[in-house]
Amino acid sequence: MSRDLTGALFWLAIAIFFSIEGFTHLKLGTLHQPGPGFFPFWAGVALGLLSLISLFNSLRKTDKLSLSGIKSSKLLLVTGALLAYLLLLEALGFLTVTFLFLFLLLRIEYRGWAFSAVLALVGAVSSYVLFQLWLKTQLPAGPFGF
Amino acid sequence: MEIFQGLLYGFQVVLQPLNLLYCFIGVFIGTLVGVLPGLGPAAAIALLLPSTFAASPVAGIIMLAGIYYGAMYGGSTTSILVNIPGEAASVVTCLDGHAMARQGRAGPALGISAFGSFIAGTLSVIVLTFLAPSLAKVALSFGPPEYFSLMILGLTILTYFARESMVKALMMAAVGLLCGSVGVDSISGRYRFTFGIQTLMDGLGLVPVIMGLFGISEVLLNLERGEEKQEIFATPTKGLFPTREDWRLSTVPILRGSVLGFFLGILPGAGAIIASFVSYAVEKRASKYPERFGTGAIEGVAGPEAANNAAAGGAFIPLLTLGIPANAVMAILLGALMIHGLQPGPLLVKQAPDVFWGIITSMYIGNAMLLVLNLPLIPMWAQLLRVPYAILFPLILLFCLIGSYSVGNNVGDGIVMWVFGVLGYLMKKFDYEGAPLILAMVIGPMMEEALRQSLILSAGSFTIFFSRPISAGFILAAALLLLLPLITRRREVAKAWTSVPQESE
Repeated sequence: MSRDLTGALFWLAIAIFFSIEGFTHLKLGTLHQPGPGFFPFWAGVALGLLSLISLFNSLRKTDKLSLSGIKSSKLLLVTGALLAYLLLLEALGFLTVTFLFLFLLLRIEYRGWAFSAVLALVGAVSSYVLFQLWLKTQLPAGPFGF
Repeated sequence: MEIFQGLLYGFQVVLQPLNLLYCFIGVFIGTLVGVLPGLGPAAAIALLLPSTFAASPVAGIIMLAGIYYGAMYGGSTTSILVNIPGEAASVVTCLDGHAMARQGRAGPALGISAFGSFIAGTLSVIVLTFLAPSLAKVALSFGPPEYFSLMILGLTILTYFARESMVKALMMAAVGLLCGSVGVDSISGRYRFTFGIQTLMDGLGLVPVIMGLFGISEVLLNLERGEEKQEIFATPTKGLFPTREDWRLSTVPILRGSVLGFFLGILPGAGAIIASFVSYAVEKRASKYPERFGTGAIEGVAGPEAANNAAAGGAFIPLLTLGIPANAVMAILLGALMIHGLQPGPLLVKQAPDVFWGIITSMYIGNAMLLVLNLPLIPMWAQLLRVPYAILFPLILLFCLIGSYSVGNNVGDGIVMWVFGVLGYLMKKFDYEGAPLILAMVIGPMMEEALRQSLILSAGSFTIFFSRPISAGFILAAALLLLLPLITRRREVAKAWTSVPQESE
């Protein structure tokens, strides 16, 4: 399946979902008193029509571009680390999670335990000083109080 | 006379030591962000927005604005020395700027971009000074139909200049409108598309969405591409001053770029990136020796660099006079003004003259600071480019995480950023652009309100958009732009666009 076809089908599904939701749950209202579903419904319809045009364009085109290789393992690790950071942030506290996060990511591209550990510690502490102490951002504290 | 009083008042505001300091911090961070590839002004301003809550509105906005036009200066350094655009508006500078560096003329290339940026930046602020107050007066007569039509025109302009297909760009605008409708409906008070999730009740946050689409996704793409060994050119500490011959070739392109950039900057949806491309195309066409372009023609550096700075000035016009953001950066500034309790729009000049004139005059001073900051400090910025990406990317990700969390002290916003980060990565892979999505998402709620109010005004008749002359003019222009590609097929700008290395927003 070409990229344009996959994309068009995806957005078509989104468009159908929003239009139905706008039509049934939110109510369109009337033209001289439009309801909360009016704008999302028509935006959804517009997206749907454009997706159909894109779909036909992709079928007509002869050169079917496929996805260029995705190096999945590294990207999965990074996106996974981001998600884990967010899920653990309030449980473990800013400093601990930030240290672990930086350490893991530095290890991906950089060899050397000691170097990564020191750099992660410096990064975690200095961002704590910068954001918590200087800029007065309210970062979550963990069970150890930091 | 009003304007001169305003200017005088503005300088009184800006010259207070604390505001000067904020202006300096803003342009400094802006240059830094501009130099570093993979971190654009939109993401940086989103990140620093929460840190301005403690400052006064004037100081906060002055700093955030400084980041924006500061990034326009910084971006060219990376383009010229490394052949990677430091930020999207200096993509074209790579073409001739890097070619000049390869011939050992990095100094004059860097010099002319700094001087060109300064001249264009200053000229555009001067025009802004005179134009903004009178446009605000005109804008007072705008009703909901005019606002709606203008926003339709803005979205159309943005999609017209799309790099890939216009259909796909229009699709992204529609997706943005849908994203904008998440949260409370401002007229009926009903929740829409929240699915019972607490974070979505206030709508999708602009900051997490921008950091996801332009920050996280960019890092993912860079990681995938892997670290290409990039040659950084030995940085000249002397010889930054262009020769007389350089000036002779550059003066007209700088002036032309300033005018072009300013007017493209005003149009909602056009902006600095497009301005730089159009300027390059225009200079190439106007030149007696177009074949020199791409091999180190100084006009190809001077024109676009002037244009993107002038556009940064012009972009303030719709924000300050209409309350409509022209691009993603202006959208965050709009958010910042509202967080500080100000309503951007035609009444701003009356309600908060310190902010209105403060922003404008800070740009005179900020541009002068940037010229001083950029020329002698170029070796330092170049050193920064030697920091390996393996160390840089965890820090960029960390800043995004902290930024998205600290807008509302809420992990949910971080999750929104994560989702849009992955979506943004896939969008790049599938050739969909993020810019129309962001602009539509921001102006979506305003458009909806204007549309529904117009329909209530006209008792359900769409003729209200055509019977009022200003509104009809906007709609007509939008319709022309939509139909034009069907007739001419291949567009000049799109052609220029595809011939350059692609990079981030």
